Amino acid sequence: MSSPPVKLSHLDRLAGRLGSSWQSIRKAQSETQNRRLELTSQFAQHGSPDTSLVVFGSIAREEVTSGSDLDWILLIDGQSVPEHKDQEREIERRLIERKFIAPGSSGVFGRMVGSHDLVHNIGGEDDFNSNTTRRVLLLLESHPVGNRDAYERVRRQIVRRYLCDDRGLTHSGSDVRIPRFLLNDLTRYWRTVTVDFVYKQRADNDNKWALRNAKLRMSRKLIFAAGLTHVFFCHLDPAAEQARAELKTKQDVSLLTAYLSEQLAMPPLETMAKACNELNIGNEVVGKIFDNYDRFLGILDDTSKRDELAKATTHAHLRDSAAWREIREVSTPFQEGLVALFLGSSDELKDLTMKYGVF
Amino acid sequence: MRRIGFSTGAIARGDFHSALAIMQQHNLDVVELSALRVGELRPLVEAIPGLDLTGFHFVSIHAPSRFAPDEEADVLGLLRPLADRGFHIVVHPDTIFNATRWRLLGDRLLIENMDKRKPIGRTAMELREFFVALPEARFCFDIGHARQVDPSMTEAALLLNAFHDRLAEVHMSEVNTASRHDPLSTNAVMAFRSIMAAIPEDVPIILETLIDQGQSDIQTEIHRVNEVFGAVAA
Repeated sequence: MSSPPVKLSHLDRLAGRLGSSWQSIRKAQSETQNRRLELTSQFAQHGSPDTSLVVFGSIAREEVTSGSDLDWILLIDGQSVPEHKDQEREIERRLIERKFIAPGSSGVFGRMVGSHDLVHNIGGEDDFNSNTTRRVLLLLESHPVGNRDAYERVRRQIVRRYLCDDRGLTHSGSDVRIPRFLLNDLTRYWRTVTVDFVYKQRADNDNKWALRNAKLRMSRKLIFAAGLTHVFFCHLDPAAEQARAELKTKQDVSLLTAYLSEQLAMPPLETMAKACNELNIGNEVVGKIFDNYDRFLGILDDTSKRDELAKATTHAHLRDSAAWREIREVSTPFQEGLVALFLGSSDELKDLTMKYGVF
Repeated sequence: MRRIGFSTGAIARGDFHSALAIMQQHNLDVVELSALRVGELRPLVEAIPGLDLTGFHFVSIHAPSRFAPDEEADVLGLLRPLADRGFHIVVHPDTIFNATRWRLLGDRLLIENMDKRKPIGRTAMELREFFVALPEARFCFDIGHARQVDPSMTEAALLLNAFHDRLAEVHMSEVNTASRHDPLSTNAVMAFRSIMAAIPEDVPIILETLIDQGQSDIQTEIHRVNEVFGAVAA
């Protein structure tokens, strides 16, 4: 009896084309699987159809390195009961016991979160930074542990809200149907992150400045690029053809909701690899993006370099830091690669980026 | 004009005689005879020849929702003569233990999508394997189950998209968090509206909203269905 054919990921196919091993990316993927297995062993029986434990950040992006912390929320989508607080404490206790690095002190993560604000408050004065952050990251870099029912429901509800409320999507006279409401919120989030970086620099007395800046230049930028890709692929992807047809003929967003929900489940590097494969992006551009991201993960996984970045807060520190020099060496060509991808290598993607991504 | 009726179990649990009489008073012309508990099936089968079904243009029978694998042959032995007489038989996929046996019901067999309590048959992807195994079977779309599984109604649209050629009956109710079939709420009416265009007008709508304890009444529930279809203002 023959075994079923192995399905290659987009990243595998891209690596095969370039003859690249991308060892740091592979190591991070492997570490991610180990960490997810550990979490599953702890929380497999956790939750009910009304709650999901959701993790964010590197473990969701499949980019776990030695110093990765663990951002999480207990997502509640159902009746509120006092026991949810006990659940929250129990999760926290078990994660500390298993030596997971706790989330930062901002209060965005490490707590229970109800679905109501995530689904209803998109924009407006009640859409606080924390709510925007959780909502956008729930779409772009999240992973459920244990019972995933609530997680799946809430994600679909959020995606549907972005699509249903976007009248241009269903009623435009144009053949191009881009989910602009979603695009604008992803863009808003990315710009908020960049503004908050400077805010934290002041509020946190430059603490971890270089490490934060490195993440901004690389991993934060990557998830924004992946978000843009998802949005533009609603128009470009042959797999979304029926969904596009339903928008035009029936003014129905259901198939596009299903398509986007499925695509958003991909890790961002896989999303970018898909774009590079399907748009036949040249090796030089691919190398700029993936070779440099691979080096970035290697830097983060090196404890001494990471510590050096975490401690570099002044101009003098930065001038003397070899690790910071390395970050600049990888982040500049990474940026160039992304610019070339969105604004040079593919006419279709360039047109969409210019028309919808800039103004 | 939509064809709207009730499940007998929703009106008078375990008492299809009374339920039919009530429905006839309201001039409803589609009905589902409910035998959700396995013990209700034989009495129903034996009573059918004597039931007054005049005036009903569509009659289906809801097979028991739970029984052991070793009871499957007996259950089918009771259902098959009804299918041969033209009755549609609604089954839950988790009671199909041996698909070959159920093939004997041909296109009289209607497979229903499940609520979130069940581990199978909830989504288009999960249901597809049943239609592969039972290619003649048709689809009973439970819109309340679909909404409970995915309140965004995306899964409901995917189910209709995947099985619209097989669609033979629609179950409608509000399925609450405990998976009980409640009277239709305003939220349910609005959610159901979003996909109603995909349901052809000649497909019968069977209400499963429990009203046997006075939770609501027939007129109110019919009115709500008409709100769903836009026949009256919400």
